[in-house]
Amino acid sequence: MTEAAVKIEDVWKIFGPPGAVSEAMTAVKNEGIGKPEVLERFGCVVGVADASFAVPRGEIFCIMGLSGSGKSTLVRHVNRLIEPTAGRIEILGRDIAHMGEKELRAVRAKQIGMVFQHMALMPHRSVRDNVAYPLEIRGVSKSKRWAVSDHTLSLVDLQGYEDRLPKELSGGMQQRVGIARALASDPEILLMDEPFSALDPLIRLQLQDQFKALVAQLQKTTLFITHDLDEAIRIGHRIAIMKDGRIVQIGTPEDIVTNPADDYVREFVQGISKLKLVKAHSIMEPLEKFNGALDSAPRASSESDLDQLIDLSVGTDQPVVITEDGRDVGVVTKPRLLRGIQGGKE
Amino acid sequence: MTDTTVTAASQIEVDRAELDASISRFAGSNGEYYAEAFHKIHEATGVVPTSFNLAAMLLGPIWAAMRGVWGSFWGFLILEVIAWVQIGRGAWGNPGAEFLERAARQTERAAEFTERAEAARLAGEDPSRFETLAGNMARAVERNQQAAEAANAEAFSILMIGLALLLVIKLVEGFYSNVIYEKQYSRWRIDPSHVDSGVKTQRLILGILLVLAIAPLTVYKFTSASPIEMLSGFPEREVSQLVLSTDSQTIYTGVANWMDRQIDAAATAGSGAFDSITAGVRAVLDTLTLALIGTPWPVVMVVICVVAWRAAGPRVAIFTAAALAYVALLGYWEISMETVALVGAAVLICVTIGIPLGIWFGKSARAYRGAEPVLDLMQTLPAFVYLIPIIAFFGTGNPPGILATIIFGMPPVIRLTALGMRGVPDSIKEAAVAFGATRWQLLKDVEFPLALPSIMAGVNQTILMCLSMVVIISLIGGGGLGKVILEALQYAAKGPGLLGGFAILFCAMVIDRIVQGAFRRADQK
Repeated sequence: MTEAAVKIEDVWKIFGPPGAVSEAMTAVKNEGIGKPEVLERFGCVVGVADASFAVPRGEIFCIMGLSGSGKSTLVRHVNRLIEPTAGRIEILGRDIAHMGEKELRAVRAKQIGMVFQHMALMPHRSVRDNVAYPLEIRGVSKSKRWAVSDHTLSLVDLQGYEDRLPKELSGGMQQRVGIARALASDPEILLMDEPFSALDPLIRLQLQDQFKALVAQLQKTTLFITHDLDEAIRIGHRIAIMKDGRIVQIGTPEDIVTNPADDYVREFVQGISKLKLVKAHSIMEPLEKFNGALDSAPRASSESDLDQLIDLSVGTDQPVVITEDGRDVGVVTKPRLLRGIQGGKE
Repeated sequence: MTDTTVTAASQIEVDRAELDASISRFAGSNGEYYAEAFHKIHEATGVVPTSFNLAAMLLGPIWAAMRGVWGSFWGFLILEVIAWVQIGRGAWGNPGAEFLERAARQTERAAEFTERAEAARLAGEDPSRFETLAGNMARAVERNQQAAEAANAEAFSILMIGLALLLVIKLVEGFYSNVIYEKQYSRWRIDPSHVDSGVKTQRLILGILLVLAIAPLTVYKFTSASPIEMLSGFPEREVSQLVLSTDSQTIYTGVANWMDRQIDAAATAGSGAFDSITAGVRAVLDTLTLALIGTPWPVVMVVICVVAWRAAGPRVAIFTAAALAYVALLGYWEISMETVALVGAAVLICVTIGIPLGIWFGKSARAYRGAEPVLDLMQTLPAFVYLIPIIAFFGTGNPPGILATIIFGMPPVIRLTALGMRGVPDSIKEAAVAFGATRWQLLKDVEFPLALPSIMAGVNQTILMCLSMVVIISLIGGGGLGKVILEALQYAAKGPGLLGGFAILFCAMVIDRIVQGAFRRADQK
């Protein structure tokens, strides 16, 4: 495995008056008291509790949780908009906590791009100047930053809007400007703080697809925050689910849907369509279980999803045979398929 | 779902039991009576009160105090005192006394004249002169006696009016007390811990004390023919003597002299600093004056008109040209330009000091809390009051006038700058920081541009405040059109005063139109 682009180790964040925070931190570490007790005893709010994960280069890592679960707080530790109370944060192998102010600004300007829920565009600057702002901060010349800005805007399909003001654009277009701005300094890492939450469902779907393709093409390591599990599943290679500041589960979308770590996650997963998530290999039965001729049965690869299996299964009475490297490895019968759609209920 | 049965609104019965218990709890003593009375009020649909409160009628304000209905307490007390004053004037005030006294004096004089007429007749002189005088006096006596009678007859009607008034007030108290008390009950239901309820002895005592303190003295003062002098004016001289135990000075002169000495000492001690401030202000003013008056007048006029056109459009430009023509034709050109220079200097200094201060106050809540009382003081203190210390510290003339103008005109630009800074969305500031902006870049690229509309509104307000103040500074020797008005005022010269007034009006309108037009254009961008 390549070196992790973002590495978070045992990060804690407790909000409150400075003296109380350090006391609360010691108490939490030694006694393991919970969030309500910290609030009661020290008047401090636990924002992030003992979070650890590593995101390899090029991965889209979704952090999913409801409002107040600490996901936005957690992601703001990555570019040190928020200082951790305890723990270690590494960006591209460098410990961000020990950087001087100048160094930190350089990292923010060059290595990390950020997109915000409410776009946070500067209303008095044109779209082009908004996108160029990270470069302007770094002191890049005007001709260079205009060229870069126009190029990034073309990546998000906004040619022709360069000289408009943000307020003249629709919400979806504004957020594309936000994405272009985050990409302008060609950062290694993208932090996406609920970028699509404030948009219409249809626009959201479009932007999700567009974003996924763009990131795959540009190979950016992405931390993507969302409160929408559907979105996390659509976009993320891996998902971390947070509750009350704690990471409850980390896994691929399929992992999370098929193996929820606890009731909290299970409740979330319930409403999620499994059609595109559950793969043939996780519901197939051994060949021996089916006695009968399978020669005329349809065949599918072990990586095909339920959706594809249903398509195959509709036209025949026979089960679907699953193949791997050209060999038959298992079968999926109709009852098995139907249970699979339900989420593996026995 | 809960198991509540759903009843149509038209079929709902009124259940009094719980309500009555709550009213009793509110009223304390006599709970049942009030439950019944409030019941009647709740049932009533008209405006005429249906319940009568005998206790409230008899006790009036004391009932209200006892029940904690303080609004009614003051209302009842004032009304009853008015009625009692009338009754007192009618019953034992002596309205004819003055006339009778005069009549008595005149009778004496008449007798004197008759005596002298007698003496003259005895001496063999012509008594007719004294007889005429005596006759006149006798007639005057008669007139005064009639007036006294009329006054005494009037006293009776005053007494009647007083009694009628008291009766009406008592009836109002009796009929409306329960209505008012019911309103208090409704408020009590919302906020039982802060709305008075029940009967409390300490409230009763307080009410009686207040009535005793207010009613007898007032009635005495209004009805007595010659009330003791102490009641007519505060005996500050006597109190001063008592406190200082000396005849030579009062508290007032003592404090005033002390302050005189302090201010003089401070003015002497800080004269270097005050002089350099004056010099700085004078430098700004001189530059502006030179530009406006030293430059040939056609150039200045053309420049002002073009600025008006570019900033606020052709209509304002035409108005500006007309206003300038008025000012020039009436010979106010130079003095108007002096006014503009005064305002300009004041506004320049306000803005250069005010905007940085506003930015600081916008960023630091603590600094703003500290500065807020000072800003309030600057705005609320009447201008006449701080003209005096300004004279003491800075002398008279234009620069001290500008300083006074600055004190009055600076708060809006500070406040609105701070307001604008605090109104910059956190998300945009966070975005700039996330892209690596320094504090200076954050201020210059995000905070200041986003706060600019608010800052501009502040500058506009400051300009208007300075304009209104620049007339008043003529009192401390400031020049410009204010001086014209002041002179006209001193000689009650109506014509010059009005012409000068219009010149100021036009100056103010031109500046205001141009500035507002410029801001509107900036906003539309």
